[in-house]
Amino acid sequence: MFDLINPSKIFLWIEKLINFINSIFFILLIIALTFALILSPPDYLQGDSVRIMYVHVPSAWIGLASFTVIALLSILSFIFKIKNLNLITKSIAPIGLLFTCLAIITGSIWGQPTWGTWWAWDARITSMLVLSIFYVLFILAHKLIEKEDLAIKVSNIIAVIGVINIPVIRYSVDWWNTLHQPSSIKIDGTSSIHPSMMLPLMLMLLVLLLYCALILLMKYKTEIIRIKKKNIKRI
Amino acid sequence: MIQNFISMNGYGTFVWLSFAITFLACGIVYYKTYKTLKKYEKDFAKELNQLSEAERKLVLEKSKVASQFLASYNKSI
Repeated sequence: MFDLINPSKIFLWIEKLINFINSIFFILLIIALTFALILSPPDYLQGDSVRIMYVHVPSAWIGLASFTVIALLSILSFIFKIKNLNLITKSIAPIGLLFTCLAIITGSIWGQPTWGTWWAWDARITSMLVLSIFYVLFILAHKLIEKEDLAIKVSNIIAVIGVINIPVIRYSVDWWNTLHQPSSIKIDGTSSIHPSMMLPLMLMLLVLLLYCALILLMKYKTEIIRIKKKNIKRI
Repeated sequence: MIQNFISMNGYGTFVWLSFAITFLACGIVYYKTYKTLKKYEKDFAKELNQLSEAERKLVLEKSKVASQFLASYNKSI
């Protein structure tokens, strides 16, 4: 199964996938923005400020999902000693950091009209801030440690420790009294969000996921070329 | 109607600021990633082309990625 991520097997596919995503991205973006900014109704309590949800919620989901994937791949790489998995985790980390920061910033902007404050040391917000610190540590481990094997080991440990924070973020609104509202969308189908808001949310999520895939593929390709460039001298 | 759309019933600043920050940050990251990739591609192609004929043949034989890269890079320029 891991042979599928072998650079020589997927190198040509990367270029094709990048071109495919580029060709559909802007059409989907315009459709998603039309729904998010024009067609979706204002909330009965929050009014039009609810539209911030269409960038805030997908950003938070991507931030959480990226770190979970990094941690899982780090564990797999630790068990099976597959170096390609580390190339993938290294490529995902900046994307995760970007979206975690965006979730915090857009959440702060949403907080001002909703709660009357830009920032509160609330359990959900603080645990998201902790997640962004883990992302920074993970990236710094790769940037500052020159010995590649040691950098991989340190970053894997950071990922495994950091993943403990993911359930804390997820359940922080249930475990503590927080300013942040409880989850409106649940995987078990008991979501309290109206379909007229769910559709733009899912469209924005799709667009941002495509963007993530685009950045991931470009970063992964850069990493492969960097390694091959190093190997030329050895050959 | 357009004024209503821009003002978002008083929440315009917050809504537009959130969307602007999101897309600006995504745009900057895309631009930086794209630039880095192109720089690496250019450097790698230059290094491969600077090798002697025999060395290049050996590299391309040993590295499937290098041969795939060179084929697609030459096609794109």
